[in-house]
Amino acid sequence: MRPLDGVRVLDFTWVVAGPVTTRILADLGAEVIKVERRGSIDFGERRGGLSGTLMRGKRSVVIDLNDPRGLDLARHLATVSDVVIDNFSARVMTNLGLDYDALAALTPDIICVRMTGFGLTGPDRDHVSYGPTLQALTGYTLLMAEPGGPPAGFSYSYSDLAGGNLGALAVLAALWHRRRTGRGQLVDLAQLEAVASLVGPVLLARAIDGGVSTPTGNASQEAPGAPHGVYPCAGDDRWIAITVFTDADWDGFVEAIGRPAWTRDERFATGASRLRHAAELDQLVAIWTRGQRAEEAMAVLQRARVAAGLVANAEDLCAHDPQLAARGHFVDVSTPEGRTVRIDGPPFLLSETPARVSGPGPLLGEHTDEVLSRILGRSEGEIRALREAGVVG
Amino acid sequence: MTHRPRSAGPPAGVLTGLRILDLSDQKGALAGKLLAGLGADVILVEPPGGGPMRSLPPFWQGAPAADRSVFFWFYSTGKRGITLDIRRPEGAALLHRLAAKADVVIESELPGRLEVLGCSAEALRARNPRLIVASITPFGQRGPYRDWRASDTVAQALGGMLYVNGHRSRPPLRSLGLQAYHQAGVFAAIGVVSALLARETTGRGQEIDVSLQAAVASALEHVPGFWHQAGIVHARQGTLHWTRYFRVGRCRDGYVMHCTIGDWTSLIEWMKADGMEADLDDPGLDDLKTRQAGADRLFAALDAWAERYTVAELVGGAQLRRIPYAAVRPPEALLDDPHLAERGFFVPIEHPALGQSVPYPGAPFRLGDAPWRVARPPGLGEHNAEVYGELLAMLPPEGLV
Repeated sequence: MRPLDGVRVLDFTWVVAGPVTTRILADLGAEVIKVERRGSIDFGERRGGLSGTLMRGKRSVVIDLNDPRGLDLARHLATVSDVVIDNFSARVMTNLGLDYDALAALTPDIICVRMTGFGLTGPDRDHVSYGPTLQALTGYTLLMAEPGGPPAGFSYSYSDLAGGNLGALAVLAALWHRRRTGRGQLVDLAQLEAVASLVGPVLLARAIDGGVSTPTGNASQEAPGAPHGVYPCAGDDRWIAITVFTDADWDGFVEAIGRPAWTRDERFATGASRLRHAAELDQLVAIWTRGQRAEEAMAVLQRARVAAGLVANAEDLCAHDPQLAARGHFVDVSTPEGRTVRIDGPPFLLSETPARVSGPGPLLGEHTDEVLSRILGRSEGEIRALREAGVVG
Repeated sequence: MTHRPRSAGPPAGVLTGLRILDLSDQKGALAGKLLAGLGADVILVEPPGGGPMRSLPPFWQGAPAADRSVFFWFYSTGKRGITLDIRRPEGAALLHRLAAKADVVIESELPGRLEVLGCSAEALRARNPRLIVASITPFGQRGPYRDWRASDTVAQALGGMLYVNGHRSRPPLRSLGLQAYHQAGVFAAIGVVSALLARETTGRGQEIDVSLQAAVASALEHVPGFWHQAGIVHARQGTLHWTRYFRVGRCRDGYVMHCTIGDWTSLIEWMKADGMEADLDDPGLDDLKTRQAGADRLFAALDAWAERYTVAELVGGAQLRRIPYAAVRPPEALLDDPHLAERGFFVPIEHPALGQSVPYPGAPFRLGDAPWRVARPPGLGEHNAEVYGELLAMLPPEGLV
């Protein structure tokens, strides 16, 4: 059994943030029905790869929401669903008549999750956004930089993943609420606020001191410590992250790198002095790391109980990491075509009712017939007529 | 979203009535903060001298002092605070008695550490089978790296986040904020509510194993997918998004995020009106894939054009045309953002000891039928009398608090 067995989610989400939310719900056992249209943005191959990872275990139906008959099908599906979710900009679902007020009139205990960029209220509610623009507005882009350096923040939409993962928490909370009270509700998830809520203590510090944030490169944002950073290793574009906080960490570090003379320099005698001389320390550490393979340096430092890790690229992560492999993080999933695709699984392991990948990504419209007949009770003839009229695909 | 003092009676949060013991340090602190926001009674259990977060910067007015860690405040909103020395056998025994009255325990000790104290998840659940135990560790409860250490930066490194951030000719860069810890906290909270839902059916709790590394790996976008699909190793490339539709550019007075995936026709019309369309007035560029391939040339032309405008002018004009442009600004700009102000994102909390009210970043999402709770973080042992009295009908145990 899984925690969301018997829960049906009508999923209008697209691109990344919304699909991240609903993939977690699918992993947890929900039946996720993804309403799609032809010609939407896609990331290529749908069974596996990025698309497959985003759409794992979902059903795909193609419905033309611009056709009144299509809209009627969508509305009918909503009335037999527990959760309706979208990540369009604010006015889209309202214009379609698929907003919370309209759906709650039909199904009073419906849960509607609106994952807009800016939320359903406020002066910017109709602004358009993507992950990179939300990261820019919340400080990530500018503050991820070396001291005095130009912005270097995120070459990907972290915001979509962060907002998407929080979206799953929102759905679970609303489902819990409904189980307790019998009531549905409208969830207003502004992705801007979701990522703003994850900036962390620095934002609270600015709220208090009114100061100006400046980039600090790879310096620690938790306990002050040095060395703390990313250092070059032998080979092409190979790096290791090393983080030393306490004297015990430092002793382990010194031991692990073979006690070179410079480690006894009084500039590095205490935590405070190591911090003061962090820049010089970084250079000396880099002299050692440059002669090391990242894998070996990491193992040597970890044996000395120093938090260190190679900077994993896609191949390190997906093909060589023994820990993720032991955890079963990437799973091989069979497709109806008899192929096998490898995609990500959920990162949290439940001992009794585990979440798991329910299946590969669906082909576009793969489940249109099945959903229309099994859930909406439409006959073969009706479905054929709808398809011929271009209402479904 | 209003902040109501506890004395006014508990607001009907989604998780009101659920009791959570939070033993975790910064690695898992966000989980308890989120669950407290949803209304759970989250009791932070600290060692008698205070947990590690209380000594982490930044500090109020810059000076390290007890009860002045802004770091601790951020992660401890809505929690009650007690002290208990669980390293002593009598303290461990009391933890068992507290856990017998709880729905959830959240902890972030290295695997096996609680077992040494006689407080493993298994032991706690033997006494309270309905108990849910969420463990947040660097690499998870089993596997070859089980005993390895990780900081936030190391988890970002081994989780694949670091490699794809930073400029191509410079070292990889970690994120703003402790995003490995944050993702682990979010996934732990997801696990907890999932386990609560499962408990409604099974009548039993369970263990939740969250790995910082795996949490980071689940907060990547393109990295694993394109490796599995095509053996592609995406590299860092500054602010150029992997899709090549976004990149930072410069206006007269600051940075802006360019976007070539919005209403392209309107963007070109606007550039033409300014006589700045360069070679972009090309029907071939109506195709998204062509714009992706030609990103360098597109952004060069957009940069030259953007220099005529202030950030506010360019973003305002773009949004009017439904083109997703945005200002590249520091996090503190959020404090003055009229949109967030109208939505009440920041929630003022009185800090009586400071004689000051502080605006805290608030809810990550709004539940229409239940408030999000942002309440003052607890002083060290502030709720000892209250909690030991309520749960165990005893006075705070001398010598252990």
